[in-house]
Amino acid sequence: MREKLEQLRNGALQAIATASAVEQLQEIRVCLLGRKGELTALMKGLGSLPTDERPIVGQLVNTVRDEIESALTAAIESAQAELIADRLQSERVDISLPGRRPLKGTKHPVSLVIEEICSIFAGLGFSVAEGPEIEHDWYNFEALNFPPEHPARDMQDTFFVENNLLLRTHTSPVQIRTMLKQKPPVRIIAPGTVYRCDSDATHSPMFHQIEGLMVDSKVTFGDLKGILTVFTNQLFGQKTGVRLRPSYFPFTEPSAEVDIACVICGGKGCRVCKNSGWLEILGAGMVDPEVYRHVQYDAENISGFAFGMGIERIAMLKYGISDMRLLFENDVRFLRQF
Amino acid sequence: MNVTYNWLKEFVDFDETPDELAALLTMLGLEVETMEKLGEGFDDVVVALVEEKRQHPNADKLSVCRVNNGTEILDVVCGAQNFSQGDTVVLAQIGAVLPGDFKIKKSKIRGEESCGMLCSEKELGLAEESAGIIVLPPAIAPLGTPIFAALGRKDTLFEIGLTPNRSDCLSALGIARDIAAKLGSKLKYSKSALVEGTQTVESLIGVTIESPELCPRYAARHISGCTIAPSPEWLIKRLNSIGIRSINNVVDVTNLIMMELGQPLHAFDCDRLSGKRIVVRTAGEGELFTTLDNQQHILTVADLVICDAERPVALAGVMGGLNSEIENTTTSILLESAFFKPSAIRKTSKRLGLHTESSHRFERGIDIDNVSRALDRAAYLIVELAGGVAAQGSIDVYPGEYVRPAIMFRPVKANELIGINLERDVILDILTRLECQVSASTDGAVEVIPPFYRIDIEREIDLIEEIARLNGYDKIPATMPIARVVSDRPSRHQEIEKSVRDLLVNNGMTEVINFSFTAPDAAVKLLLKEDDPRRLAIKLANPLVDEQSVMKTTLLPGLLETVARNMNFRSLDLKLFEMRRVYLPGVGDDMPREPLCIVGALSGSRDGDGWSRPTEPVDFFDAKGIVETILDYLDIGGVSWRTESPESYFHPGKSCRVFAGRDCIGSVGELHPSVQKNFEIEKPVFCFELDFEKLVTLARTKKTIAAPSRFPDSSRDIAMLIPEELAAVKIIDCIKAEKAKEIEHVQIFDVYRGKGVPEGFKSIAVRIRYRSYERTLTEEEITALHKKIITNLVDKLQVTLR
Ligand SMILES: [Zn+2]
Repeated sequence: MREKLEQLRNGALQAIATASAVEQLQEIRVCLLGRKGELTALMKGLGSLPTDERPIVGQLVNTVRDEIESALTAAIESAQAELIADRLQSERVDISLPGRRPLKGTKHPVSLVIEEICSIFAGLGFSVAEGPEIEHDWYNFEALNFPPEHPARDMQDTFFVENNLLLRTHTSPVQIRTMLKQKPPVRIIAPGTVYRCDSDATHSPMFHQIEGLMVDSKVTFGDLKGILTVFTNQLFGQKTGVRLRPSYFPFTEPSAEVDIACVICGGKGCRVCKNSGWLEILGAGMVDPEVYRHVQYDAENISGFAFGMGIERIAMLKYGISDMRLLFENDVRFLRQF
Repeated sequence: MNVTYNWLKEFVDFDETPDELAALLTMLGLEVETMEKLGEGFDDVVVALVEEKRQHPNADKLSVCRVNNGTEILDVVCGAQNFSQGDTVVLAQIGAVLPGDFKIKKSKIRGEESCGMLCSEKELGLAEESAGIIVLPPAIAPLGTPIFAALGRKDTLFEIGLTPNRSDCLSALGIARDIAAKLGSKLKYSKSALVEGTQTVESLIGVTIESPELCPRYAARHISGCTIAPSPEWLIKRLNSIGIRSINNVVDVTNLIMMELGQPLHAFDCDRLSGKRIVVRTAGEGELFTTLDNQQHILTVADLVICDAERPVALAGVMGGLNSEIENTTTSILLESAFFKPSAIRKTSKRLGLHTESSHRFERGIDIDNVSRALDRAAYLIVELAGGVAAQGSIDVYPGEYVRPAIMFRPVKANELIGINLERDVILDILTRLECQVSASTDGAVEVIPPFYRIDIEREIDLIEEIARLNGYDKIPATMPIARVVSDRPSRHQEIEKSVRDLLVNNGMTEVINFSFTAPDAAVKLLLKEDDPRRLAIKLANPLVDEQSVMKTTLLPGLLETVARNMNFRSLDLKLFEMRRVYLPGVGDDMPREPLCIVGALSGSRDGDGWSRPTEPVDFFDAKGIVETILDYLDIGGVSWRTESPESYFHPGKSCRVFAGRDCIGSVGELHPSVQKNFEIEKPVFCFELDFEKLVTLARTKKTIAAPSRFPDSSRDIAMLIPEELAAVKIIDCIKAEKAKEIEHVQIFDVYRGKGVPEGFKSIAVRIRYRSYERTLTEEEITALHKKIITNLVDKLQVTLR
């Protein structure tokens, strides 16, 4: 019995040593250790031994089995490691080929700029308001202190439709609609489409504006300057110089044009800023008391500011676009770059 | 408004350079839009002295001169005859560049060396024609002085973009006045020492105002015996420098005074005025009048006219008449200086399309107090330049003298609103500098009477603005407001709009934005039926072009034009969408409706260029898939796809309308070949349209989420033949009708036509995944259920199993 075991052990270890493939080793395991394997058969023969020998031989069988088992495990592991090493050696992809990616679309630059500006103002506590594009003269002009026949109406070439309606020339009527609906405090931003009957390289008959309005109990012109400074710094980068200079809008007083230091040349002067170093980006001012009168606010006890800017102009500055018409030609070779 | 640096200096003293002055004006709200340096670049053209002049040895008509430019003596060959030795002349030195890009170089002329050129006015661009070279007055300036500096022509032209409220700055005086107020310096008025004759003006002319509400003031003077002639050099130059062409001495004076003092004037040939009198009245309805530009106008009762005893002679404040204008033979003049009601002038000018420098000023409002000053100075200059005698006195009809009401002004309020902290004295000093009369009142407030020329100042807020403006916007500190907290969560509409736009972009769609207006024939191109409500578009009363004359009732035309344009540029793989408003007429007196819509268009290959997969063209199901993605995202239930009554612009066999319950919420389809042709689109296009407003109403924001089953699944397939007419969805419906909760998922995984499938049939393969929430299903249970489903399909839909 002992000799048989010894033979089996030696034969097995030799077979394991010479086998190289994982499948071969698995086969050896079945032949020796399986249910019908040689070692199992030997185990079954234990019963025929004398009682006192059984434990000794039994232990020996176990030792031999453990020995074979560990040799097999080691051999299988190394065969598997070799297999992996072979795969790693032989398998290759050409990683320079382009990746397979889901198609990506793009938002129109006008939408992108509107979203960005709205999110900056959301952070300052302004909510988004909207209004109709086909407007009454009253909301677009009269309530904003443009009386009929006023020369300031010439500043805005208007498209008219029937029934005393027009295509709004600015987003400012949203101010009126908002103030008629709610009492102060008011803090809104109103993006939207506007129209002027004017068309050339720098004017489009349809374009976009964002209007802002803040009315509360003690809002100052200095606050307007503060809010616009924070806004321009967030939109164009920290420390963008901001300049307010006197201007005129019928619905604000005092009124201001707001310039930023030219983002192209940094203020040294270039073609874009007409060598002034400044770029006009928005109009603003303190809400005129006449506007409060139209919306039944008490001008003595509240104050506020309004501002408005052209989205296309900001998009052009942000992305370095020189011709406004590109924005409405919708050439996908242009749009896919955003 | 054009004004020059030197001109402003005549009215106010300042030390600022032209650049500094431009900055100062801009920060006063008088924006300098452009700045043009006059007489720049001629620094190599200098004052020189002809020391010696001799005959050119080889040419009769030329001379050789020894010319002193202050530093050296040069030989210059010259062809002109109008000068002699010892004259002061103008030398263009080597290196100078004259108008027409004419460079002066050292040259040899008929064998004699010439180091420069003696210039004529024409060569310097100072005159159209000139006979001979310029001979300057002796010792006009040190030799070597650049010519424009010597002539005092070095100047800077400012082009100022005025806002409509600042009509007071439509003159050099007005701009100078603002500079003086800012700098705190004194304004210098120009000279007018008119010497009058003995004959009284009343004996020569008369003025009657019949419409005092439209013409509150009318002043006139009479000048006789003058001679119409070209203006002197200084006047021509001044007018040219601000872009006005010289006409003759009298007309030039009226133009000069308008630009200098802001008062438009008109000079009539008095001998052509019937009755030698002026009547200011409104025109008769249909009255004809020919303005001096030889245009005939039909007037209305709203137009104000200046008449003589018989007929209109001028369109008040707008333009004079051909019948009374100054001619070369004119000797006696009636000079008008008046104030007309701004709105009346504006109406007439606008209706007749006659916009003149005069109407521009009157319609914005001029200084009623300045009427006689301007008249006197103009009369003085006319007598100076054209000779003649001014009659004694002037006629000044000014029935109801203007009085400006005082404005109650609180310095504290100014500080509060602007966010500054100026001393009361500083604030009041600013008002005084603006020529306001300030008098003390109660409670710290003051009464302020603004000057007549500032017609824009009427309220306390107007004065507050002046404080901010004169003190300087740059001196206002930037602060952050103290505000009350308000809830500002975006509305449901806004949130859904943003997320749907994101969803489309993340699904490969590119956003476009087209104009809101389109061509009137867009409806025809889309084959819309005669009774289609989308044919009722809102029309623009004053479109720029016919192609942009009606508001869109559907976004398709713009999107299809975009597709065509991109295909023309060989961009053939297109996945575009537009999310914008359409404009539908209101019912009755209601405002138009402006619902937001979504349209999409797909064409070309599905995945773009790739090396790893064959490129397949997009089809109906790509468009439908996008719609499904949106509906799924918004969790809109009860969706059905219906083929009855297809949209006219879609292929009837490859399109459907989308319903959610009973609401039609959109449509999907391949573009009708005729529509494709109408829009000149090369390749098939697949489109979808959705009514965004309905999506917002139907969207479910609360989803119920089920925990997944922990038991194993088992899938079974069914392959069957069904008639072409049978919609695949019926198979799914039939399987789901079994309502077995063990059916986890049903999926069509193959649709096949062709070999092995009889004509008129299609082969459909369906995979059903079974799974229970409670336990592992046994083979027997699944087989039983699957058999039941197959029996249903065969019995109810007569499918043939394969
Ligand atoms: Zn620049």
